[in-house]
Amino acid sequence: MSHRHLKPTLLPLGDQALLIRYGDSLSDSANLAAVAMARRLEARPLAGVSEVAPGLVSVLLTLSPGTDFSRLRGELMMMADHDEEAPTSTEWPVPIVFDGEDLGNVAAQLHLSEQEFIARHNGVPLRVLATGFAPGFVYCGFHGDDLVVPRRDAVRPLVPAGTVLFAAGQTAIAATPIRTGWHVIGRTAFHNFDPAADPPTRLRAGDRVLFSAAS
Amino acid sequence: MTSISILRAGPLTTLQDAGRFGMLKHGISSSGPMDRGAFAAAGALLACPGSTGIEFTRAGLSFRAEDALRVATGGGHFQLAVNGEARAWGFELQLRRGDVVDITPGVAGNYGYLRLEREIDVPLLLGSRSTNVAVGLGGFKGRALRAGDQLALAEAGSAAAAFGPTAPSDGPIRVLWGLHADLFDATARQAFVNSPFPISPSLDRMGVRLVDAARIFLGQRRLTLVSDAIVPGDIQILGDGTPIVLMRDHQPIGGYPRIATIVSADLDRFAQLRPGAEVHFRPVTLEHAQ
Repeated sequence: MSHRHLKPTLLPLGDQALLIRYGDSLSDSANLAAVAMARRLEARPLAGVSEVAPGLVSVLLTLSPGTDFSRLRGELMMMADHDEEAPTSTEWPVPIVFDGEDLGNVAAQLHLSEQEFIARHNGVPLRVLATGFAPGFVYCGFHGDDLVVPRRDAVRPLVPAGTVLFAAGQTAIAATPIRTGWHVIGRTAFHNFDPAADPPTRLRAGDRVLFSAAS
Repeated sequence: MTSISILRAGPLTTLQDAGRFGMLKHGISSSGPMDRGAFAAAGALLACPGSTGIEFTRAGLSFRAEDALRVATGGGHFQLAVNGEARAWGFELQLRRGDVVDITPGVAGNYGYLRLEREIDVPLLLGSRSTNVAVGLGGFKGRALRAGDQLALAEAGSAAAAFGPTAPSDGPIRVLWGLHADLFDATARQAFVNSPFPISPSLDRMGVRLVDAARIFLGQRRLTLVSDAIVPGDIQILGDGTPIVLMRDHQPIGGYPRIATIVSADLDRFAQLRPGAEVHFRPVTLEHAQ
C-alpha cells in the first residue's frame, strides 16, 4: 500500500491543537494514511490528547492545556512509522432519489445523459473520506476522472438534511440544513446525524458507501 | 420547582456550559462561552454554581426570579439593577422571590454572564448543555432565549472549579502563524503584523469579521485548498480579502486559507472587543503561548 511510506508533517494549530498532515492536496493515499492514523490514536490514546478527529488529509488532535508538544511529536512520529493494515470498514447502502436541481447541469457538463450520469455515479462504491464541515456531513470519494466537475460559483442558501451533493470528484451528504456551493443532485432518506443517539453519527471515515437509485 | 422567567433577551442570548467536547469527529464544534474566563470568574463567585449559565449580548437581559436564588454576574461591563435599584456589576447577588433583574448596555464588552447557584434544567445533549446556534443544537430547545421563556431550575451545582490566572487585559492580541501562513508572501505577513484591523459590526458566535483597512488581502490570488481542520481563533481570509476570526461555534472543517491563530489565552479578550475597536496582532512562539 502506498500510504505506508507517507511521512506526516506535524503542525501546531494555535496552542491547544496539533495537526498530523499527510499532504496539502487531496489524494487517496493521504486520506487513507490519515484515517489509519486516527484509528491507531483512538485505539491507543496518548497522554495529553483530548480529541482525535480525522479530516480529508490530516488528523486533528486537541490537547489539554500545557501538553508538551515536543514529547508528543516524538511519540507521534514513532506511531506514524508503523506499517498499516487496511482499516476495517462497514458497508452502507445509501439509496438516492436523483431529482436535484443541478442534476441536468452536472450531466450536461460531463456530456452525459442524466441516466448515464446516475449509472456511473452509482457504479463503484465510494469511501467516506471524512466527517466535518457540519454535524454528520460526509465527504465520499473518489469518483473516476470522468466524473469531476468544479463547485458552483454561487453558494445556495440552506439545503435540507439528506441533500446529496456533488463536486470535485466527490459525493457529499448533508445531515443538517447547510449552505453549499456544491451541486445538488438528489436526496436520501439515510440520516447520518441523530443528536439523541450515541454516537450521534453512523458513517465513519474509512467506511464504504454503496449508492443506488431509490425506486 | 423553582424557575426564572425571561422578561427581555437581547439577540443571541444562549445557555452555555464549559463546552461540548469530544464531538469534532462527528462534525460538531465545542461551543461554550465566548469569554471562558469571565464565565468561570462569575461562577467562582458562588460556592456551588450550576454548570450552565446564560450568555447575553450587548443589549443585556431582564428576568424575574420565581423563588429565592443566588446568582452572580460577570463579563464585560454592563449596567445592573434589581427592582430598579442599581447594583455593582461583577458580584454575587441574593435574589428574593419576585425580584426583577435588569441588565442593560454598559461601557465595555460584547458578552456578559449570569451564573446561578442551581443547575438549569435542560437536557444534556451529547454531553453538554451549551447551545450551538450555528446548528440549532443543545441549550434551551436548540435556540436563543427570548421573552416569555421560563427556565426551570434543578438542584444546586457543585463546588466551583479552581480558576486559573488571567491573561493580559490590553496590548496586542497574540497569534501563532497559521496553517497556511506560508501561502501569504512576506509583504502580506509583515503588513498583517503592522496594521490595525478594526472589528466590523458583523460578529457572532461563529465568527468576527475584521475590516482590512490597509487592503492587505485585497486581490491576493485565490487559492484552492484542501479543506482542513479549524480551531477557535483561526484567522481566515475570504476570497474577497475579508479576514474573519472563527469563534466558538465555528464549522469544524473549512477551505479558506488561515494566516494565523489567536492564542487561547487571548481569545476571551478578543471576543469582548466591540465593533470599531482596532486590533493589533503580535506573533509569538508556541512556547510563549503555552
